[in-house]
Amino acid sequence: MLEIKGLNVKLEEEDKQILKGVDLSVEAGTVHAIMGPNGSGKSTLSYVLSGRDGYVVTEGSATLEGHDLLDLEPEERAAIGLFLAFQYPVEIPGVGNMTFLRTAVNAQRKARGLEEMNATEFLKLIRQKAKELQIDADMLKRPVNVGFSGGEKKRNEILQMAMLEPKMCILDETDSGLDVDAMKLVADGVNALRGAGRGFLVITHYQRLLNHIQPDVVHIMSDGRIVKSGGPELALEVEENGYGDILSEVA
Amino acid sequence: MATLDQTTEVKEGVDQETVDAVREVGGKYKYGWETDIEMDYAPKGLTEDIVRLISTKNEEPQWMTDWRLEAYRRWLSKKEPEWAMVDYPQIDFQDQYYYARPKSMEQKPKSLDDVDPKLLDTYAKLGIPLKEQMILAGVEGAGDTPAEARDGERKVAVDAVFDSVSVGTTFQKELKNAGVIFCSISDAIRDHPELVKKYLGSVVPVSDNFYATLNSAVFSDGSFVYVPPGVRCPMELSTYFRINAENTGQFERTLIIADKGAYVSYLEGCTAPQRDKSQLHAAVVEIIALEDAEVKYSTVQNWYPGDEDGKGGIYNFVTKRADCRGDRSKVMWTQVETGSAVTWKYPSCILRGDDSQGEFYSIAITNHHQQADTGTKMVHLGRNTRSRIVSKGISAGQAQNTYRGLVSMHPKAKNSRNFTQCDSLLIGDRCGAHTVPYIEVKNNSSRVEHEATTSKVDDEQMFYCRQRGMDEEEAVALIVNGFAKEVLQALPMEFAMEAQQLVAISLEGSVG
Amino acid sequence: MALAQPKITATEERLSALRLPESGVWLARARGAAQDRVRTMGLPAARDEYWKFTPPGTLVQPEAPQAAVFRHDEAPVFDGIERLKIVFVDGVFDAAASDPLEGEGLQIERLADVAAQDIHWARDLYGVLETRGQTPVDRPLAALNTAYASDGILIRVTGHVSKPVSLIYHHESTSSDAILHHVMKVEEGASLTLLENGPAAARFNKVMEVDVADSAAFHHVRAQGRDHERRAATHIFARLGRESTFKSFTLTVNGKMTRNECVIELTGDDAVAHVAGAALGDGDFHGDDTVFVTHDAVNCESRQVFKKVLRNGATGVFQGKILVKPGAQQTDGYQISQSLLLDGDSQFLAKPELEIYADDVACSHGSTSGAIDEDALFYLRARGIPGNVATDLLTLAFLAQAVDEIEDETLRTEMAARLEGWLSRRSG
Repeated sequence: MLEIKGLNVKLEEEDKQILKGVDLSVEAGTVHAIMGPNGSGKSTLSYVLSGRDGYVVTEGSATLEGHDLLDLEPEERAAIGLFLAFQYPVEIPGVGNMTFLRTAVNAQRKARGLEEMNATEFLKLIRQKAKELQIDADMLKRPVNVGFSGGEKKRNEILQMAMLEPKMCILDETDSGLDVDAMKLVADGVNALRGAGRGFLVITHYQRLLNHIQPDVVHIMSDGRIVKSGGPELALEVEENGYGDILSEVA
Repeated sequence: MATLDQTTEVKEGVDQETVDAVREVGGKYKYGWETDIEMDYAPKGLTEDIVRLISTKNEEPQWMTDWRLEAYRRWLSKKEPEWAMVDYPQIDFQDQYYYARPKSMEQKPKSLDDVDPKLLDTYAKLGIPLKEQMILAGVEGAGDTPAEARDGERKVAVDAVFDSVSVGTTFQKELKNAGVIFCSISDAIRDHPELVKKYLGSVVPVSDNFYATLNSAVFSDGSFVYVPPGVRCPMELSTYFRINAENTGQFERTLIIADKGAYVSYLEGCTAPQRDKSQLHAAVVEIIALEDAEVKYSTVQNWYPGDEDGKGGIYNFVTKRADCRGDRSKVMWTQVETGSAVTWKYPSCILRGDDSQGEFYSIAITNHHQQADTGTKMVHLGRNTRSRIVSKGISAGQAQNTYRGLVSMHPKAKNSRNFTQCDSLLIGDRCGAHTVPYIEVKNNSSRVEHEATTSKVDDEQMFYCRQRGMDEEEAVALIVNGFAKEVLQALPMEFAMEAQQLVAISLEGSVG
Repeated sequence: MALAQPKITATEERLSALRLPESGVWLARARGAAQDRVRTMGLPAARDEYWKFTPPGTLVQPEAPQAAVFRHDEAPVFDGIERLKIVFVDGVFDAAASDPLEGEGLQIERLADVAAQDIHWARDLYGVLETRGQTPVDRPLAALNTAYASDGILIRVTGHVSKPVSLIYHHESTSSDAILHHVMKVEEGASLTLLENGPAAARFNKVMEVDVADSAAFHHVRAQGRDHERRAATHIFARLGRESTFKSFTLTVNGKMTRNECVIELTGDDAVAHVAGAALGDGDFHGDDTVFVTHDAVNCESRQVFKKVLRNGATGVFQGKILVKPGAQQTDGYQISQSLLLDGDSQFLAKPELEIYADDVACSHGSTSGAIDEDALFYLRARGIPGNVATDLLTLAFLAQAVDEIEDETLRTEMAARLEGWLSRRSG
């Protein structure tokens, strides 16, 4: 479903190569995890796939179900089913969480040629999804992410994921800043969305999130490349021995 | 109401050391005495002849004389600015001496050993070492110097300006070895005319404003600094200005050039005797920072502020401006303004080079009848330029304290940033604190943020301090030092202690 | 200080294009004194400090610059709101379109109707609050208005008022030059909500003097827009008594030249004054909010909230001042001015001032200017919201913080909806 081939990326502002030939293929219905030390390029990969400014693709390609992602605006990428759960969800004062989500849902529906969801339908749906994630009504009324705790922000990301029903989800360090209970809640939310042909790319520094979201494939990223891929056991290896052993092994 | 066991937060950064320092410093204006020394005066008043005389006394070349005369002619057609929130009696510019020189300085001393002992005593009494084995104490007696400074054996080269002339500059040889030129501006005009010609008036043009134009015509001395490419000046440079003679205006001119990749930190201090009649001081400082150069300019301005009834004191009209001409150049102004009856001063940065940076840290304290109208201009011309303004104004007695500033983002100054924090503290209900910022943003990739607050000394903090045994003045000094901490921290260490003590002295009689 | 000759010339040229309306004793005296004030001050010129950011030329020139009439098919502003309508067309009262000038707790008259009387309650206010507002800063266009205003509405509020009074302005002539002067006297314990909307004329000079007595309240909501060619200089002079409330909100959309001055004097203890504005400017838009709040009593609160969104070379100006006089202890003064620049050609010019002569105060001001938050924009787009929609959403959110200053929920909703509608029309 998601096909990344020989992706080379540098920063726009300075001549610094961040990704140096990433190859990755995520099949429909599978969960892939990318692990790697800080600065290996994991977050950059998520930003480049979702179309954030500031990066230049110098070589390679990325497609989602055959659509050339790199050629699309961020909202077009979202409309064809790409979702990024941000590591640091931005606070948007003045924009109500509910207004925001309804605008997003309907924009995507419109782009896909579907009818817009009316207010009643929307309200019903969001209340149900919010309940599953233990998001109270107050959180829906407040401005987007403003004054949310770390856990609330991440739950809000998952709520958006549930509402937007994307095909391909990228979770960027979703576990950062979460305690065990919050992590479990988030993981349950993600697991509920597994299957149905939906692909996941879980970016994480630590193995612990992967205890809750079992990956099918684990990739180790270092210095802008995927240096090793394997089954879930690879994550446990990192947990036990750190990145040093694997990196020296492939070096 | 706060209960006793609740911990009231005393502003950070006020430690026991400060409290002790505040306690130790007694008395009022410490530098109000006068040196009894025979002087040569030019006749009172200002004419072309006086301008020529100043030029001749300084043994200047013709081009310099012409430059001064041009300034004088322009000055005649200029009006005194009236927009500042300061109020003072009309100054009679013809009732001033524009040149005063100790008789003993008629023959320029060859070395510091030849300097009139009376002059050396004056500076010793001010705590300014003109002997090279001494380090700058900043305040009287090395006992007050922070231990770190003593251990580090930090050297400071000093240029001492007494009324109209420079009496001597220390560490000449050591600086010369590093390639740094540090001398009086009159020496520089003679010995380095190519540098002076190229840079003098290039930041503050001759006709910039009334006082700068006056200064251009009659400046008698001042300091000159040139740091060659890639050189990090091996010690702090310092100029100490002393007004001594009566009815004498002081017009010094400072020119600092940091060539590509150079670094220099410069300190300026000033005092004057206690007199009933006000005296005029109109200085110009120009700084040029070329590519990758960095200049730090710190001032502790402690001119005589006048007495408790507002009698006497210095009228301080100063034009200070830095041109960050080169890419990635950086200039930092730090000022502690505690003296003068009237202060009119806006140290500014022209951020011309791409990625250049300007910073302005200021504490202005006014008490009794003092008036200060001070601030900065940050003019962003280059791309990715940054500026930061932190201004702390403290007003007590019947004083008026105004922050006046400009932040200007030109259309071409893409991706630039400014942050301004401007806080005022009022002590007593008869003083005033004012904020007059101008903000002009002409491109949208730049971000400008301005914040200002005005409040009084927090009652709970005061109570907390007093409950712990401090009297009101001590408590105020302590809290004010905390309020001004961010600026005090920007000062070189030698000055930081002096400044903290000055804060306390300046606020004496402000409470109770 | 003597005026410069060019200023005298410009002032006399303007005055010679005007004629003092026929008036009875009290009004003639007020007009004459105002005319003298104009001559003493001189009309604004480009180099005046108070006009540093706004070129006064088109507001001062003898003839009004031509302005095309703006036609639209939108529902009128405040349409669904029950109100007492008073209509002016190009500055001329339209009796047919207006409701009868009467209402519970209200005494409403036209200036032109009472001008011939020898005595009237408005004598104590007409030109009086304007004169007070001339210190310490000259406002010559307001004095000009007092001298030459052709008409206006005088409202005295004595008791309970059942519905808002709504001043509706229509613009029909491309060269109309309207001068209106309103006086509002809200007596002790009474309250009034005043609404204003519509393009008034090619050029509009309006003064409103508002006297809010002890424990009285005055609420003002105004919509300027969506016409673009107008030129307007408006002044509000308000005097607040003890425990009184004054709240004013202005929505400004489009307009080649709009200068809104608001001069508020808190003279009674425990009074509250809020002034807010949201502006949306495009192209050769020039919008200037100039506010001057004087605290001259104990324990008063003032609040200024101004937000502007500018694009395609639009210019936004904010000059705001809080003056705390000696003895005005326990003052709480707040001021924020922010602008969002949607492109590189637009500019924001600001002078947020504090002048404080009392120590027991908490005053603060903030001012920011910059582009739209790229992180927020990306976040919205990553959720599938197209760039222009996301920009509008963030624009509305930014301006909403000023709209939220409106106390009345119905009016707040009306202004928010109007803003949204105007924004979407602009995008289309």
